[in-house]
Amino acid sequence: MIDTQSIPKLQSQFLDVTYINHKTGQEVTALKNINLSIQEGEFICIVGPSGCGKTTFLNTVIGFIEPSNGSILLDNKKIVGPGKDRSMVFQSPSLLPWRNVMDNVLYGVELQKRITSETRKLAKTYIEMVGLKGFESHYPHELSGGMQQRVNLARALTVEPSLLLLDEPFSALDAQTREFMQQELVRIWSETKKTSIFITHQIDEAVFLADRVFVFGARPGHLVDDIAIDLKRPRELKIKREPHFLQYVDRIWQLIENESAKQGFA
Amino acid sequence: MSKTEMISTTPVKNKSRKIKTKRNTVWISVTSVILFLITWELISYYKLINPLFISSPIKIVEAATTLFADPKYWQHLGVSAYEFSLGFILAMAIGIPLGIFAGWNRIFNSIISPFVSALYVTPKVALLPIIIIAFGIGVASKIVVVFLMAFFPIVMSAQKAMSTLDQNLIKAARSFTASEFQIFKTIALPSTVPFLLNGIRLGLGQGLIAIVVGEMYASTAGIGYHLTHAGQNLKTAEMFVGVVVIAVSGVILTGVIGLIEKRFSSWKPE
Repeated sequence: MIDTQSIPKLQSQFLDVTYINHKTGQEVTALKNINLSIQEGEFICIVGPSGCGKTTFLNTVIGFIEPSNGSILLDNKKIVGPGKDRSMVFQSPSLLPWRNVMDNVLYGVELQKRITSETRKLAKTYIEMVGLKGFESHYPHELSGGMQQRVNLARALTVEPSLLLLDEPFSALDAQTREFMQQELVRIWSETKKTSIFITHQIDEAVFLADRVFVFGARPGHLVDDIAIDLKRPRELKIKREPHFLQYVDRIWQLIENESAKQGFA
Repeated sequence: MSKTEMISTTPVKNKSRKIKTKRNTVWISVTSVILFLITWELISYYKLINPLFISSPIKIVEAATTLFADPKYWQHLGVSAYEFSLGFILAMAIGIPLGIFAGWNRIFNSIISPFVSALYVTPKVALLPIIIIAFGIGVASKIVVVFLMAFFPIVMSAQKAMSTLDQNLIKAARSFTASEFQIFKTIALPSTVPFLLNGIRLGLGQGLIAIVVGEMYASTAGIGYHLTHAGQNLKTAEMFVGVVVIAVSGVILTGVIGLIEKRFSSWKPE
């Protein structure tokens, strides 16, 4: 599936991100020398302890943060700010409370001035895909947390990005809904095959979803390891109990533990 | 896995329950008002308090029937309504854009904030003598007073609304390449509506005070003028008619705001 000859979808080259902490006035290095590449159609998960810069990395990819050094290339073009080729599913649903599901899903294309009968049809397709058919005219407050995140996802998909970014989208959900949504995401991804970067601090979530898991370490944020997850698709939740799956979880857990030990707070 | 089990409440059921409880409390309110009127009438009838001071509900109704049959009284009402509407519309037309712009633009906010904050707490009626000198005892001075009283709550609410914008929404909009203007139009403006309505409600109360005090101080017509005149001539019942007219106007206008609020915040959780 992965053609090693082709140009990677996303490349991070010698990426450093430093910023000034406004409270202390000190310079903080959030990311140090990140080199990685992602192929078209891959589902990537980034895991790591808090402070490892995984969210900073995502914010740099979406274009909120400018690299201090190095660069990120998407389809061989340097990322300089937010663009129509990327969209993000946020940790909080971030829906406009005065708009119903349909209008919230259309918000992205509306901002990009691409509302057409075609994009409307697309919104409908994705609403159906995330399992919200029949809820088009409901308002966010009428939906459960899981359903709100489905809207969040449908909104990001409707702009048809070539790269989908997901920033801990299930972290605020209860354990059961979370597992259920993981399963749903696997299904949706198998239908869209969008190149995706998913950030989480839950290792089993990362192993379950990803083709490859990037493990980040803290202070400063750096890439520790890049682990290919060789589990067949389509995946179902029950693989989480299989020894093969647990071995991956264990291995990543070890890596993170070692990193923490280095920091002196194991 | 069905979709329905993910919804916690069915909206239809909720609504009917709400109407039911509302009807119950309306009856309690109606009863309390009736009891109050009866007590008032009895106190007046048995002269427990001098009727010259408190009149009585029946006498007030009698006075109202004669006053409302008199076209002169309608003229007074008309003058006051005119002064109030014009002053209030001006306060909204200037206050809302000014407040929103101040909330959006930090530099502009820093320029006007000290004045708005200081004048907000200043009793504007204290400026009446100057306003009368500058604008005369006619309608113009009343319009100015209403404007000044209603203006500040409206400006402050608009400013406040802009400072409480949901940063998550702005972040989401930016990720979709939104321009500043788009963020303003799709997030900032709709977010201000509930705050604005609250400011307008506060402004209404202030405006009504302004109209009465303004007309009491110096004028030749209007409900405040008529009310003062009646009071000075010991026509307590007539004076109370004026008070009731103002109170009822206030209740109606607040009710209208409430309806608008409902219309604009149908998306809000209960």
